[in-house]
Amino acid sequence: MSEPTLPDDSAVGPPERLHPWFLLNGLRRSLRGIGGGYALVAYFAVSGRWTSAIVAAIAILVLSVGGTILYWMRFQYRVGADEIRIDSGVISRRHRSIPFDRIQDVDITQGPLARLFGLAEVKFETGAGDGRRAEDGVLHAIALRRAEDIRSLVRGRRSHAPKSVAASEESPPVYAMSLGRVLLAGLFNFSLALFAGLIGFTQTVGQPLGIDPFRESFWRKLFAASAPLEQFVLSHGVAAVAGGIALLLLIGLLTGTVRTLLRDYAFRLDHVGAGLRRRRGLLTKTDVTLPVRRAQAGIVASGPVRAVFGWSELFLQSLAQEEKGRGNHELAPLARDAEVDAILGEIGWRPVSGAFAWARVSQAYVWSFALALSPLLLVAVVQSMLLWPLAVAFATGLLVLVAFRALEWRRIGYVLDGDRLLMRSGWWRRRLVLLPKGRIQSIDYRENFVSRLFGTGTLQFGVAGGRAQTHLIPAIPTGAARLLRDELLGSVP
Amino acid sequence: MDEVPDLLPVEPGYKNVLRVRLALVWLFIAGAALIAAYALAEETLFAAALPILALVTGVLVVAVAPVRIYRRLRYGLSDRLLQVVRGWLFHTDTVVPLVRVQHLDVVRGPLDKMFGTASLVVHTAGTHNSIVTVPGLAPDRAAAMRDVIREHVRTDFA
Repeated sequence: MSEPTLPDDSAVGPPERLHPWFLLNGLRRSLRGIGGGYALVAYFAVSGRWTSAIVAAIAILVLSVGGTILYWMRFQYRVGADEIRIDSGVISRRHRSIPFDRIQDVDITQGPLARLFGLAEVKFETGAGDGRRAEDGVLHAIALRRAEDIRSLVRGRRSHAPKSVAASEESPPVYAMSLGRVLLAGLFNFSLALFAGLIGFTQTVGQPLGIDPFRESFWRKLFAASAPLEQFVLSHGVAAVAGGIALLLLIGLLTGTVRTLLRDYAFRLDHVGAGLRRRRGLLTKTDVTLPVRRAQAGIVASGPVRAVFGWSELFLQSLAQEEKGRGNHELAPLARDAEVDAILGEIGWRPVSGAFAWARVSQAYVWSFALALSPLLLVAVVQSMLLWPLAVAFATGLLVLVAFRALEWRRIGYVLDGDRLLMRSGWWRRRLVLLPKGRIQSIDYRENFVSRLFGTGTLQFGVAGGRAQTHLIPAIPTGAARLLRDELLGSVP
Repeated sequence: MDEVPDLLPVEPGYKNVLRVRLALVWLFIAGAALIAAYALAEETLFAAALPILALVTGVLVVAVAPVRIYRRLRYGLSDRLLQVVRGWLFHTDTVVPLVRVQHLDVVRGPLDKMFGTASLVVHTAGTHNSIVTVPGLAPDRAAAMRDVIREHVRTDFA
């Protein structure tokens, strides 16, 4: 296979290869990728054909190793004056060229082992629509120094102003998290879903394994040495259940804390010329630059518990996708209102922690929900004929749902604040969305036959990037929706 | 937000497009019901009611729905905005600022060709509702609208 030589090859710089470390990492990747192969080996092994199993295993290994080496040999990248070229592929070659002008940001990620070797993974985000499916442009393993060179080259091109990274090191960060703050954020990251999952686990898989903290025998084994406690647990089944819940809560808190510690350790946000630079991570360090001009919307998230203590979380919805499909870029995992305002001020947005004249939505938000639940009352009626305590519990459950809906309704509001729209929603998952007028791609006003009875509809905003489901105003009266829409689009340039 | 005066109806031929499209869908459903009826024929006599029910519903839908869908479908194009209004049971009113348009398609399927219509498809950068379709336009009208909107297309977030 001979390389087609292009006339302007000299303009795009000399070809470079990935660091050989990629061989190890890529091998792991390709071994992980062939699930079917292992199934085949396992099938052979289970059915007693050991020779076939061994041959298949060796074939898989040889193919993976060979494939990885070939891929590495055929992978080249070149850094030119205003573009990056990546040539890859063994059988079908792909020559990708990414103009610097189209690169949204450059992510540098360092896994724990790569850090030992001074290597990094570089990812170029171009914000192309398929960012989630295909890798836009990834250099899996190159020297960290080279990665930083490339990034400053790209960044210099993008902002059209020379700047030194060294200077920003000395200036104080826009936002940084101390270890204590990270641990606190971990406590708030306690996941109810995980808690429920753990309960499910102990009740299904755990039982045959003898891991069921809701049983007396579990505690008996655990506290075999201390007789009084054993006596206590044995005599009180309630104590066993309470202990089980406490243990699971502890596990939930611990996992939340560990997960947050791994991800957000040494969280630091700096202002660099064109945007914000975020560094974080304990074992895997990530270093992401977010161009401010690409910001589409801001989201301040909180919850009922966090709000009591005055904490919230700040996200930025950008054209570029956050890694692992999280959608929005996290700017601050746990911040005071003043800190949120400071970060927003840094990217040229006005503060959000003022008193706004929130426009409320119609109570139809609650009533239409109650209407939708009302058929379930029939279930309660049927239950009451069979077993009345069940019916009471069921009806109470329905009431609680409606009550939550009412709590949510109390929080929902919107206000047009100059050149931006603020939308507030949710009681359990509290969100405050900052949507600049100029970032609205389209507006949908939707009604259905139920909401029309109440004279309301849903106003939904199309915004680029991210995955936020929050860009909507539910149960807004028809007239208000129309007025708001005219005001929003009236100022579109 | 039902009758905004400057909104225009689409081509009457679009009713036929809808009729054929719905007829095809309901023929498929009736066929499936027929197969189900054969399969269940030994279990109950009511099985024969399935395809009849499907056929009757289909005829009713084809007779009634296209006219109503057509009547509810309006579009408007000003020098800054494109508006599409459709639906009654589930009513949607979409507004797209022309400067936000990323790219444009004019689509003509086999049914469109048969009845002399075309669809204008407008793509925005939005994640939700990023594709807005104006169906049932006359082909020249669709092309003319495309040219008008194309004047406004530019990437303003570069």
